[in-house]
Amino acid sequence: MTQAAVEIDSISYTYPGSSSPALDRVSLRVEDGERLGILGPNGGGKSTLLKIILGLVSPTSGRVVIFGRSPEEARREGIIGYVAQKTEIETGLPMSVQEAVTLGAAWRVSPWRATPRSVRDHVKRVLALVGCEAYAARPIGRLSGGQLQRALIARALAADVKILALDEPMVGIDASGQERFAELLEGVHRELKLTTLIVSHDLRAIVAGSDRVACLARRLHSHTSPEGLTPQILAELFTHDVAGLKGSLRGMHVHAHGPGEPCGEVHDGEEVSGEVQLGMPSRPAQEKPRVNP
Amino acid sequence: MSTLESLMTSPMYSSALLAGLAVVTMCGVLSVFVVVKRLGFVGQGVSHSAFGGVGVASLLAVMLPAAFAPHDGGGGMGELLQFGVIVVFCIATALGMGLMSNRRTLPADTSIGMFLVGSMALGAVLVHVSREMARSRGQSSLVQSWESILFGSIFLVTRDEMYGGWVIAALVLGVAWWFRRPLLFWVLDEESSSAFGVPAGAMKGTLMVMLAVAVVVAMKLAGVVLATALLVMPGAIALRLTQRLWPSVAISVMAGIIGLIGGLLLSLRLDWPPGPSVVLTLTVIFALASCIVWMSTRWARPALVGEPVR
Repeated sequence: MTQAAVEIDSISYTYPGSSSPALDRVSLRVEDGERLGILGPNGGGKSTLLKIILGLVSPTSGRVVIFGRSPEEARREGIIGYVAQKTEIETGLPMSVQEAVTLGAAWRVSPWRATPRSVRDHVKRVLALVGCEAYAARPIGRLSGGQLQRALIARALAADVKILALDEPMVGIDASGQERFAELLEGVHRELKLTTLIVSHDLRAIVAGSDRVACLARRLHSHTSPEGLTPQILAELFTHDVAGLKGSLRGMHVHAHGPGEPCGEVHDGEEVSGEVQLGMPSRPAQEKPRVNP
Repeated sequence: MSTLESLMTSPMYSSALLAGLAVVTMCGVLSVFVVVKRLGFVGQGVSHSAFGGVGVASLLAVMLPAAFAPHDGGGGMGELLQFGVIVVFCIATALGMGLMSNRRTLPADTSIGMFLVGSMALGAVLVHVSREMARSRGQSSLVQSWESILFGSIFLVTRDEMYGGWVIAALVLGVAWWFRRPLLFWVLDEESSSAFGVPAGAMKGTLMVMLAVAVVVAMKLAGVVLATALLVMPGAIALRLTQRLWPSVAISVMAGIIGLIGGLLLSLRLDWPPGPSVVLTLTVIFALASCIVWMSTRWARPALVGEPVR
């Protein structure tokens, strides 16, 4: 068996002062190059799980291994490129997009040295890949929300990362932007073949860029491929979204019955209507690489 | 022109000018970050906490008169030791403010405000206590006057103090240069810097210590009340004129130098106090820069040093 990108072995985490755990014996294995979506309601422990993978929080019990290292080591080595949910950058800092993206890799360069040519070339490539070239010279404080997010993805990719972690990437992006964002993620994956983790309560974000979906609400309810989540289920979930649950999938239970089998059980009998199909991804099934744990 | 000549050639004035240049160079570089990170109030808090340092120093001076006694020719170890006590006190306050405002329970401005008034109160009480002690022991007060602490006394700077100022400025600028990349990363994106492996706490601490040192040195020039101006105004001027990183640092330093020379000339010509003259000159430069930007946007011309042309 090859080395896993991320191996999570029965981790639990309880916030100090809290009686119930935020994460309860969660186990997951993400293969190298696989794209995992972590789907769950708000407060379901997604962000906590991501913080543990990033080495910012230590689990109360259990073990996480990232390419054979501890999460802290992985963080020190810069193995994971991270794009935060809230893109709260200091917009007053007079710095061009290119300078900010370069810092993503160059902050590790020895103070004596100028930014090496290899880093600058890689930054150019990454800027082109996420479509930031046109405004690479613009001050980063003057970008629109979507442009800034692209720039921050470029920054996450600027270092020689093996994993790209995105926290709630679809928040605050309009419908047309979401489609372009999904294409962007496809393009990045095609080019760099990175292991990708997408954490979201928004199904569209998950389906846009995942080979496999883990449903997390304190415990891991299932992990299955998007084929496992049939269009029917996805549409019904999306109906929930529209029906005023505002992206919260509380009460959702999706059970995997086995790889490839249709699965899922949603406690809401709402019918699928035409308009919700807008949120459906249009990815042919045969393109998806199948990775079964 | 004779005023400019005497500023350059007279030993007393040239010490003041060179010391002032050390201060504005150091403060000019830090100023951009102070403005961007909205640390102006931190500077204010640190400079006012120097009163606490003065209080501690004056108490120590009464208790250990031998160590603090001024040597022949003024200055010397006593002054240096007193300055050291103030520096240590200010750094401790800066780090304290940084640590306290880290916690979500206490807003940064509240924590800074508490440190500010707390150390001023402590300073007032300790200065009083030490004066009483000195009187009962029949000693004279060994600590510099309140006025020079409040408004600075750049023309009283000795040659040695000037060299000391340059050593400190070189150290601060060296540290800033050494950590420039992780520091910039942290300034740009404090929230996710630690996820990238940037030592966020260390960067915050480094910036706070540099700020505290710069404020204490700037107090020699502009005093407690106006020291923050040297950390706020040059950066504010630079960010009016450019949106590019290294040009903004260069403009900030240049604005500081122009403010310094202009202020010292005013002070010599008109016999105004030097610290306030420098700060007033900087205020005028800021107003001019604002005017230029306002006019250039109004008539739809590109700013002087605007966005780079692609």
